[in-house]
Amino acid sequence: MTALHHVEPGEWRRSIERALGAGERFGGAWARAQDGGLSWRAVIISAHGVRVIWTEATGGAVESIVELVEAAGWDEREAHDLYGLEFDGHEPIRALVTHPEDPAAWMTPVTGDGVHQIAVGPIHAGVIESGHFRFHVIGERILAMDPRLFYKHRGLERAAEGRHHDAALPYVQRACAACAVANTLAYAHAVEDATGLQPDRELRVARTALLELERIYNHLHDVGAICAGVGFAPGTMAFAALKDRAQQINAQAFGHRFLFATIAVGRGAVELDAAAVDAMRAQLRELRTDSRAAWRELEFAGSLQARLAGVGVLGRDDALRLGAVGPAARAAGIREDVRTLAPRLAYDGFTPAAPHAPAGDVEARLGLRAVELEASFDLLEGLLVAPLARGSVGRIEDRASVGIGRVESARGATACAVELEGDTVTRVHLRTGSYANWPALAWATAGNLVPDFPLINKSFELCYACVDR
Amino acid sequence: MFVLLRQLATIRGSAGLTRGGSRWLAIRHVDAGSCNGCEHELGAVTNPLHDLQRHGLDIVASPRHADILLITGPVTTRMAGPLRSAYEAMPEPRLVAALGDCALGCNLLGDAAELVGAVQDVLPVDIRIPGCPPTPDAIAEHILAAIKRDI
Repeated sequence: MTALHHVEPGEWRRSIERALGAGERFGGAWARAQDGGLSWRAVIISAHGVRVIWTEATGGAVESIVELVEAAGWDEREAHDLYGLEFDGHEPIRALVTHPEDPAAWMTPVTGDGVHQIAVGPIHAGVIESGHFRFHVIGERILAMDPRLFYKHRGLERAAEGRHHDAALPYVQRACAACAVANTLAYAHAVEDATGLQPDRELRVARTALLELERIYNHLHDVGAICAGVGFAPGTMAFAALKDRAQQINAQAFGHRFLFATIAVGRGAVELDAAAVDAMRAQLRELRTDSRAAWRELEFAGSLQARLAGVGVLGRDDALRLGAVGPAARAAGIREDVRTLAPRLAYDGFTPAAPHAPAGDVEARLGLRAVELEASFDLLEGLLVAPLARGSVGRIEDRASVGIGRVESARGATACAVELEGDTVTRVHLRTGSYANWPALAWATAGNLVPDFPLINKSFELCYACVDR
Repeated sequence: MFVLLRQLATIRGSAGLTRGGSRWLAIRHVDAGSCNGCEHELGAVTNPLHDLQRHGLDIVASPRHADILLITGPVTTRMAGPLRSAYEAMPEPRLVAALGDCALGCNLLGDAAELVGAVQDVLPVDIRIPGCPPTPDAIAEHILAAIKRDI
């Protein structure tokens, strides 16, 4: 059960300060409209787990914490736009979800001799999700970049509210196809956390296998996308084909290339008999062999390698300050991975891949994915040793009103918060690895050349869909 | 794989597209609010396993170069304007394809206040490709079948 502590409104900033001083970290925040008023909740992460603190917005405002936690900037801007919550001390609070006409209402002010803007999107040149980038440049040099997302905002959280927790799951799944397992698993964990349920070993094994299958096709995709970012077609094509094979394995075993509907709340949704498990293991071994061969080709491809080093650098201090997660954070030297603290999954003894002294550049993020692919194949070797059973859950605790689920997606730590009244979802909030990383991507873009932006963007390979929701 | 190639060859043959012929149709994709599943599968249509270009279809960067506007997702309030602009930028004759269940309005998930609706609520739809998301095979088959019907 996730502990829930009330904090007096005048103590909000101080309680965050105390948590940070004790080595805890901010893990996302969400607003809740209730009884005609608003409240504001934050996830606090420690080495042992998570807790939630909350306060009420007296007069529609709470103390801002952006001075203490830059990573909370987007959370506060989102709550301001969607709930009208005011944040004392967040000045100016720029629009994030809403799209005002006035550039000053959403853009970083960048002025000076020779400074001009390049506007890109929301419709991009290729088959890419919709979103807008505003580059502030001098010549070819990027001074700053403002991402304007939420073009794809579908109000999925609001639409899920008021529904039974089983009926709300498809809304979470539809947030993002490429993170469907991670997002629905974080949601299932959150509901099971709130309802006092704990999955048994069989259910944990099946869910862990699904999460790693999702990571494999995503990482293969992302390696190919980085090749596309420099126009290296042989790499793009090789990894596009490998990704497709990974998705064919998903489809053959579970009936869906993106593993939709493989996660359910409070029960298992899939099973594989011995023959199917053997077939999958054999296919994954072939895929692993071919992926290694394709990776070796990339290592010796001079025209690719020449573009990677020193581009899009995200240093360790900046990654920590901006709250970066996942491969982007690990390639900056932050040895963190939710898989090391996952009692609801089967990652016993897992050690995150993190290079010794990473450069935090495109090269580091690319290389890290190759290492993580190996780790995922290893994990599946260990998981696919017996038929996958549906498994079940057991009640270990009383019910609570709030539950938190955290899962390591291909983009990084994804948190889901659920508030329940009985079995009805009164609030659901999804803060994905992509959401956490967009400010870090914008930061890593500054100082680079405009033509390197597609490459930098692909090296993070963040989703728009599961940010916009 | 080979099944797909046979299927495409059959469709191509009955569509009157001779091998090495000069027909060439350009597709411009617009994401009007999808979950990114349809984008992944549309991308896969051009991968080496599916390779739609061999059949005289390619994805282009500008709507001004496009014959088909291929739209994914339910149309959000924030994407309705850019979507109409892309359509208006296209030369005529032009076709509109709705890709996936969201675009077709069969399985709309979201808050009504944030959505305009299905693609047909915004633009006239000529080609309907169901699926959540449609597989690369289904995308190729539907587009090639539509070429046979409309051209």
